[in-house]
Amino acid sequence: MTREITYVQAIAEAIDEELERDEEVILFGEDVEEFGGNFGETEGLYEKHGRNRVRNTPLSEIGIAGMALGAAVGGIRPVAELQFADFAATAGDEIFNQIPKQPYVSGGQIEAPLTIFAPSGAGIGAGAQHSQSVHSWLGNVPGWVVVTATTPYDAKGLFKSAIRDDNPVFFLPHKMLSETKGEVPEEEYTLPLGEAAVEEEGEDVTVVATQLMFHRAKEAAAEVDADVEIVNPRTFAPLDTETIAESVRKTGRLVVVDETVERYGTQGHIANEIVENDFFSLDAPPKTIGVKDIPIPLSPPLEQEALPSADRIADGIESLF
Amino acid sequence: MWDRMTQNVSVDDDTARDLLEEMLRIDIFEEETKERFGEGEIPGFVHLSGGHEGSHVGMGAAMRDDDWLAVGGARLIGQYIAKGVPLPEIMAELYGRVGGSNKGHGGQMHVSDVDRKLYGHAATIGSGQNPAVGLGLAEEMKGTDNVVVTTIGDGGTSRGSFHTALVFAAYWDLPVVFIIENNEWAISTPAESLSPDHLSDYGIPHNMPTESIDGSDVEKVYHTVSEAIERARDGEGPTVIENRVVRLVPHFEGDKETYRDEEAYERAREEKDPIENYRERLLENGVITEDELDDMVANIEAEVEEAIEFARESPEPEPEAAYDHVYKLPLYGQGDGQ
Ligand SMILES: Cc1ncc(C[n+]2csc(CCOP(=O)(O)OP(=O)(O)O)c2C)c(N)n1
Ligand SMILES: [Mg+2]
Repeated sequence: MTREITYVQAIAEAIDEELERDEEVILFGEDVEEFGGNFGETEGLYEKHGRNRVRNTPLSEIGIAGMALGAAVGGIRPVAELQFADFAATAGDEIFNQIPKQPYVSGGQIEAPLTIFAPSGAGIGAGAQHSQSVHSWLGNVPGWVVVTATTPYDAKGLFKSAIRDDNPVFFLPHKMLSETKGEVPEEEYTLPLGEAAVEEEGEDVTVVATQLMFHRAKEAAAEVDADVEIVNPRTFAPLDTETIAESVRKTGRLVVVDETVERYGTQGHIANEIVENDFFSLDAPPKTIGVKDIPIPLSPPLEQEALPSADRIADGIESLF
Repeated sequence: MWDRMTQNVSVDDDTARDLLEEMLRIDIFEEETKERFGEGEIPGFVHLSGGHEGSHVGMGAAMRDDDWLAVGGARLIGQYIAKGVPLPEIMAELYGRVGGSNKGHGGQMHVSDVDRKLYGHAATIGSGQNPAVGLGLAEEMKGTDNVVVTTIGDGGTSRGSFHTALVFAAYWDLPVVFIIENNEWAISTPAESLSPDHLSDYGIPHNMPTESIDGSDVEKVYHTVSEAIERARDGEGPTVIENRVVRLVPHFEGDKETYRDEEAYERAREEKDPIENYRERLLENGVITEDELDDMVANIEAEVEEAIEFARESPEPEPEAAYDHVYKLPLYGQGDGQ
C-alpha cells in the first residue's frame, strides 16, 4: 500500500520513525523544535518526542557538528541539521578534518554513527551563500558517506538508512523539491546506501542525475530524439561506479549532469571513472554539465543561467549523436 | 635565588608517591622518546610535556576510569600516560607500528584508547572541545554520572570553536571540565599578549565556576580538578580551570626557541619544574626516601625500556592497511538486493 506525501513529509517521517525505533537516536539543530525547520522538515517531532530527544541548539554549526561527533563517539546516534548545506563551510574543521578522519586516525577504535543533514541546491533565490550543492566538497574527503535525495520515496528510505548506518553520513535533500509529492509505501522500508538506481531504462544514452537535476533530465529526455536511461547515484561517496558503468556498456554514451560547480565537480569524476575503466564502451566523448563557474546569483534569470536547464541537458544529450 | 619553602603534603602517602611516580613515568618516557626521535626512529613531529607533568598527572588522578579525556594543546604524551594508556602501545604508535594504540594510523598527535575513554586529539588546535561537549551529552543521555575532561593550550583559546563549546556546555549544563594549560607560549606567541587577566575568565560570561591555579603543583591540580569533576557529576555543570604552567621544552623537537628570554627560562626551570619541586617536597616531608626514589626510577626505566623494545619489534603496517578504517562496510542495506 502506498500514499502520496511531500518530500519534506517523507523526511520528517524518516526521523520520526527512527526516533521511535531506537532510543539512542536524537535530533538537534537550529530551530528544530516548534518552528519545525525552514522547510517544515522537522515539524511535529518535538511535540511528539519531547525536548530530551529533539533539541534546539544555539546558532553555531561548529557546535552542532562538533557535538554530533562527540555524541556519536559517546554511544548515541545523533541526527543533526545544518539549516543550509552551504554552512558545512562554517563548520569547516569539524566537517572536513574531524568527523571524516577521527575514526580513521584512531585505527578504527572510534565509531561515529552520526547523520548530518542539510537542505542543498539552488532555485529559490536564496543567493550565493544559501544555494550551493556541496556533495563535491564532501565527496573529496574520504570518510563521509554522501547521500542525496531525489523523490519522497528516496528521501524517506535513504534517510532512515543514513541514520542506521555506522559511518558518518551527510544527507542532502534539495530545497526546491520540498513540496513535490510522490508515492511512499505505508509500510516501513529502507533503501540501500552505496547503490545507484536505474530510474528510467533506455538504450541510446546514459544520463547520470540526482535531486533537482534528475527531474530536469527527465524533461530533457522527453524532448530529445533518443532513448534515455537515467541513473541516479543516490550515494556519491563511496560511489557505485559499477551500476553507471554497466549502463554505459549498454548505451555507449554518457551525460553526467549535477548541480555541483563544473570546475572540479562530481561530473568530471564520474566521467573519468568511465573513461579510465570502460573507454572502449564509449561511442562518443562523455558530456559533463553542471553549475557554471560562478557563485550562484540571486535574480531569477541570473540564477537560472548558472544552473543546468532541461534545454542545456537536452543539448548535451544531442551533442553526442 | 628562589628559596623552596617546605610545603605540606595534602594527600595520603600512597597517593603522593603515585603522583610522583606518574610524573617521573612521563619524564623518563619522554626523555627516551627524544633520544629515539633524535636517532631517526620516530617519524613525524614530537612535542614533549616538560613543565606540564603536574597538570597532566593531577587531572589524571582526579578522574575515574569511566570519565572521558579529550586532549588538546600540544603537550600530549603526558596526558596519554596520565589516562592510563600502556606505555608500549603509546611508544609503538609513535613509531607508527601495528602494535600502536591506533595501529599506526594516528601517531603522536592522535593516540586514542576508546576502551580507556581517551577520545584522542583534534590536532587542529581547539577543535576537540565541541566533541567533548558531545561526549558529555552522550553520558547525560545514557543516564551515567561520568564526566568529560577536556584540555586546551593558551593558544587554542583564541579559536572560536573553544568559545562555542563553552556556549553549548553551558546551554545544557553538561558535565564537562575545561582545562586550559597556559604555558605562556603558543609556539612563539606569548600568552601575555592576550587580554584576559586569567584565561579561565572566558568562563565568566557563561556563569561557570572558574579557577586559575599554579598548574605546576600536582596536588593543587588534583584537588581543583577533583572539585570541578564532583560538581559536574552532581549535575552542577561545567567549570573552566586555568592551569598556569611553564613550557620547559621547545615547542617541538627541533624548535631553537630563539624567541625566549634565557634568564626567564632559567628562572622557570628553577622554580616551576613540577617534578623537581614535588620530589623535594616528598623527601622533606619524609614521604619517600632517596633509596625508594632510586628504586622507583629504576623500575620506570625498565618499563620504558620494555616499551621501546615492544615498539621496535612491532611490525610496520602492510601498505594495504592504509585502506582500513575509512568506512565500515557494507554500508546500511548495501548488497542486500533491495
Ligand atoms: C588550528 C591550528 N592552528 C595552528 C596549528 C599549529 N600549531 C600546533 S601547536 C600550536 C601552538 C599551540 O599553542 P597552545 O595552544 O598554547 O598549546 P601548547 O603548544 O603551548 O601546548 C600551533 C600554532 C594547529 N595545529 N592547529
Ligand atoms: Mg601554550
